[in-house]
Amino acid sequence: MSNKIAVTFARLSQRNEAKSVQVARNITILDAARQAGVDIEATCGLRGRCRSCRVKIIKGDMPPPTVQDAVQLGHDEVLEGFRLSCQTRMLGDTTVMPMPPKAEEGHKILAAHDSKADTSVLHLDSGIKKILVQSDTPVEEHHQTSDVEEILSSIPDLKSTEVALRCIRKIPLELRKQNGVLTITGFNGDIIDIEAGDTTDHSYGVAFDIGTTSVVATLLDLQTGEQLASAGGVNAQAVYGGDLMSRIAYAQFDTKKLTTLRAKIINQVNEYIRQCCSAANVNPDHVYKIVIVGNTCMHHIFLGIDVSYLGLAPYAPVVRENLVIPAEELPLKAAPNAQVCMLPIIAGFVGADTVACILSTRIHESDDIRVLVDIGTNGEVVMGSREWLTACSAPAGPALEGAQIRDGMRGAVGAVEKVEVKDDFVCSTIGDVPAIGICGSGLIDAAARLIDQQLMDANGNFRKHDLDELPTDIRKRLIVSEHGHREFVLVWGEEGGKTNAVGITQGDIRQLQLAKSAIYSGIRLLQSVMNISDDEIEQLMLCGGFGNYINMESAKTIRLLPGLSNEHISYVGNAALLGAQMALLSEAERQNAYEITQDIQHVALAARPDFQDIFVDSMTFMGSRFPTSARSSRRKKKNQRQKHVV
Amino acid sequence: MMQLDTQFFDYEGPEEPELMIPEGWEDRAPAGWEWETLWEAVETGDHIYTDERVREAISLNIDPRVILDDGLFPGFNLQADRFSAQVIFIPEMLISARAMKAGLALIRPLLAAQAEKPVGTFVIGTVLGDMHDIGQSIVTIMLENAGFNVINLGTDVHPDRFIETAQKESADLVGFSALLSTTVYYQKVTIEEFLNAGHRDKVKILVGGAPTTQDWADECGADGWGKDAVDAVKLALKLVETPRAAWN
Repeated sequence: MSNKIAVTFARLSQRNEAKSVQVARNITILDAARQAGVDIEATCGLRGRCRSCRVKIIKGDMPPPTVQDAVQLGHDEVLEGFRLSCQTRMLGDTTVMPMPPKAEEGHKILAAHDSKADTSVLHLDSGIKKILVQSDTPVEEHHQTSDVEEILSSIPDLKSTEVALRCIRKIPLELRKQNGVLTITGFNGDIIDIEAGDTTDHSYGVAFDIGTTSVVATLLDLQTGEQLASAGGVNAQAVYGGDLMSRIAYAQFDTKKLTTLRAKIINQVNEYIRQCCSAANVNPDHVYKIVIVGNTCMHHIFLGIDVSYLGLAPYAPVVRENLVIPAEELPLKAAPNAQVCMLPIIAGFVGADTVACILSTRIHESDDIRVLVDIGTNGEVVMGSREWLTACSAPAGPALEGAQIRDGMRGAVGAVEKVEVKDDFVCSTIGDVPAIGICGSGLIDAAARLIDQQLMDANGNFRKHDLDELPTDIRKRLIVSEHGHREFVLVWGEEGGKTNAVGITQGDIRQLQLAKSAIYSGIRLLQSVMNISDDEIEQLMLCGGFGNYINMESAKTIRLLPGLSNEHISYVGNAALLGAQMALLSEAERQNAYEITQDIQHVALAARPDFQDIFVDSMTFMGSRFPTSARSSRRKKKNQRQKHVV
Repeated sequence: MMQLDTQFFDYEGPEEPELMIPEGWEDRAPAGWEWETLWEAVETGDHIYTDERVREAISLNIDPRVILDDGLFPGFNLQADRFSAQVIFIPEMLISARAMKAGLALIRPLLAAQAEKPVGTFVIGTVLGDMHDIGQSIVTIMLENAGFNVINLGTDVHPDRFIETAQKESADLVGFSALLSTTVYYQKVTIEEFLNAGHRDKVKILVGGAPTTQDWADECGADGWGKDAVDAVKLALKLVETPRAAWN
């Protein structure tokens, strides 16, 4: 019996083809998929804790289900041939249908056009300077000179005589192409490019925000500040774990895996540079400066720095400073002449993206107290004014991005994003198509409506008492699922599986509570550190792709955000990308970023003695508690006692 | 449409745990005394009221063991059973644990004064590299409820500290908590250090935490794994039943 088996991955759509691969017997389907170059998303980081990597076995030896298969997929799906690809090992030749046709087309990523650097307030000073020179070529053999020396002698106000090997290699040709007419490009005085002819009008830069979930790029004209093109999409590393910690765990103490993650993001960055340049009809050789912001983990992985210790207390980053790296060293082959500027980092979980957000929202210059909240898998909170700034990370986990929610999905076409109640529950989906799942903003809305309608109490328990008082249409939405857990049906499915039912389970509510409590307690804790009351907060600014779609009232109802009045809450768009653009256009801003990291006070939540109390308090929603069923009988004979609010 | 009606009538759902009222509690309390509001306070996590009532009970010279068994346990055990049955979740368990903690803080010194003999000594902590303590603090309270002498080393605990403490306190059991997928690795490392120190066969080792599984417990060489706090305590009780002599 051969130890090799053949695995075929069926094609999902017109766009891709079936892929076959020979693999060792007994490897997981997911490992086989990776060898075949088929991307299967594994949100929980291969732990069998979610359903994202499920596949259907359509031909061949049916591998026995694992315990996790049974738990996550349920009896029926296991019988139909569904398996978790991260858990199931194959014993023989198999044909597999990869599953995520929870089509994430049209995944809402904060498009770059939502955030443009306001160049009116910015002094354009990108550090890139191009000058036109007329250089001589060596003429006499006895002149002890060289091409480089001739060129250098033609440059006025020369600051540095170092010329990169990459430039030297180009010189023989460029120097003679147009009889010594050359454009010299410098970055803060260093020569970074030499080319024939007059190209002084062309200098471009790209700003990147590399998030755990999504990556966004914009191409800017460095001389005018004008935005020329943008590109964006899901971070290609997402298949190796949806959240930061699974990403770190994947690469921990394994250089090969770190290299895998790094290759994914380097390719993606290269691709976006090409896309932007081609869309704007810009020669990629004229991209001279790239600014990259991202959380500490994304920053380190991009640079190929070991993230093993980032996942272990005290979660220290390997490097925090501003870094400037020639593109060829990374390598970013799509922009060979660029200098890649990595903005500095505050702490292990408060990265360059947060620094960029501060930069663009100007909290560090504000007279009043401002709060910046980035709601994400690894959320961050920044609070303060020009006097005193504090920051903390608020690890919300991936629930708000739909992971580890039974019917959860990202904000893509078909996701329930809005829930309203008139006579009955009415859900709207992204793209107005039949619902296939629920995204974070939908989850927040749904929870808020359950509270409004008194279908759920402050502790997140579904209503169990006096059900007869509810309107029939609403009452019948409260069901018990096949696993014996309570659930609220938001969208009824049609018989025959033509459309899916979408519901919210008691377990989903618990995940939501953990997630929103992290953010809410982050805000509360910084308030406690700085001794700031709600009234003193002039502006609470939500940033990041997610903040845009949240209904503020719902966010207040579930206590994701403090109950400030609406004029004190605003949405500031992709502030991280905006900050990256500012650092791209202005070296002074890039220097400011460094000052910010030196002045800000990082507060480590877990190390604070009052954190656990605040965290527990933050888990509750607005509204009151239901009596529990066991208590309702007792409460009749119970003496009145003074109730203390918890 | 789905087959609603049957499910709809099923909404009452699975049997829910009920409050176990301690038998004959009236005989152990002063005339006219009631525990019911304290049961409810612990159940709902009203730590301020719990503190008040326990102080009141102590001032009336009610036996601390009675306060614990009749006053504090019923509400907390109800929540623990609900937690185990997935009727409630971490938030309510924590809220309830906070009230329990408030009561225990008052009772514990009195119990110690009475020289109550613990069922065993349990050293617990979160492994090196991990700062989370919510999980292990629930387990700690439940272990204390179950009568263990619990030594909680806190978070980010170096393997050497686990070993030193286990040796010094002659611990029966040691538990390692890890809440991050990046730190579970140190559960294995710590167990290896116990082996190197020659103390592995003197203790039973339990592992737990969100990213852990029974498979992981087997792989890292632990004696047991609890899927939740309730499970962990059951396991601990089972393990101490085996006389320690038999382990050596």
